[in-house]
Amino acid sequence: MDFSIRAANVEDCKDIARMILELAEYEKIVDHVKITQKDLEQDGFSKNPFFHGIVAEVPEQHRTKDGHTKIGYALYFYSYRSWSGRAIYMEDLYVMPEFRGKGIGKALMSKVAQLGLAAGCGQLNFTVLDWNKSSLDFYLNQGCTDVTTDMGYHYMSCKGEALEHLAQP
Amino acid sequence: KMEYKLRKAEPKDVPDILRLVKELAKYEEMEHQVTLTEKDLLEDGFGETQFYHCIITEVQGEDSSDGLKVVGFAMYYFTYDPWVGKQLYLEEFYVMQEYRVNKNQTQTRLGIGSGLLRHLSNLAMKTRCTGMMFVVAENNEPSVQFYKRRGAEDLSQEEGWRLFRFDKNSLVKMATPAEE
Repeated sequence: MDFSIRAANVEDCKDIARMILELAEYEKIVDHVKITQKDLEQDGFSKNPFFHGIVAEVPEQHRTKDGHTKIGYALYFYSYRSWSGRAIYMEDLYVMPEFRGKGIGKALMSKVAQLGLAAGCGQLNFTVLDWNKSSLDFYLNQGCTDVTTDMGYHYMSCKGEALEHLAQP
Repeated sequence: KMEYKLRKAEPKDVPDILRLVKELAKYEEMEHQVTLTEKDLLEDGFGETQFYHCIITEVQGEDSSDGLKVVGFAMYYFTYDPWVGKQLYLEEFYVMQEYRVNKNQTQTRLGIGSGLLRHLSNLAMKTRCTGMMFVVAENNEPSVQFYKRRGAEDLSQEEGWRLFRFDKNSLVKMATPAEE
């Protein structure tokens, strides 16, 4: 199947917002999504963006029954490792179900890897849910390591009341 | 009684930052894994594109003629969760052993570690981040307890998130388009 990958622009936020919800549905946590299309436009496409995006598109003749030609995306940002320096973090990777198995996910990830290397990054990091077997298999096949299993690294978060409490004098 | 000063890192602090990074790595028996140089830290923290931010803590040296000594630091940057927005990511957080507060000591003010964490939490709220994220090794009991006591959630345990990584070699392989 013919497809192309390019950098996301502000007009893509409508489709990215749609696909974020589709991904959340797949991960079974739709009610966790508070970010709107407007937030994405502000946070990703203003002077100091907090993330970057790439979009996968198919030609008109392959559009979905709802008329979508933007059928996959990846969101990433730059991070820093205190031991090795520049790194790239892939926050989301998603391809609509009917377009899977055609190399689009791999191509999106490859693009993120290229962008990371071009920016001088030595690592690409991301998280996967432990029950998501098809994704776990996909990633392990690409040669990555499960740092949680191998090194016992747990991903922690301080939010809501806990964060407010911590901030108090 | 521990008097300390907390401030934003400046280019002149880069040698101290690297010293503390290596000290922490040595404590985890991974000193050889630190490939970062002062040049990297200078360019990446104080150059055109800022990859990280740093807060340092200083105490007065033992003699009154000594200057201030850098005894702790926190390295952080901003990340993005497309579900809830901006997050403050705490990459590294370290206070030299001899400047930490023992559980047995009576303390009239916050230890340096707690002070750093409070400052960062404040900063997270001021910059409208909905959370502060970080990674802890599960066998690092003192750190796990330090964070859990302050209300941190273990997302790996509670929600099943596993952290995955591609190292440089795998990155290069992945970045090269496959022959069709």
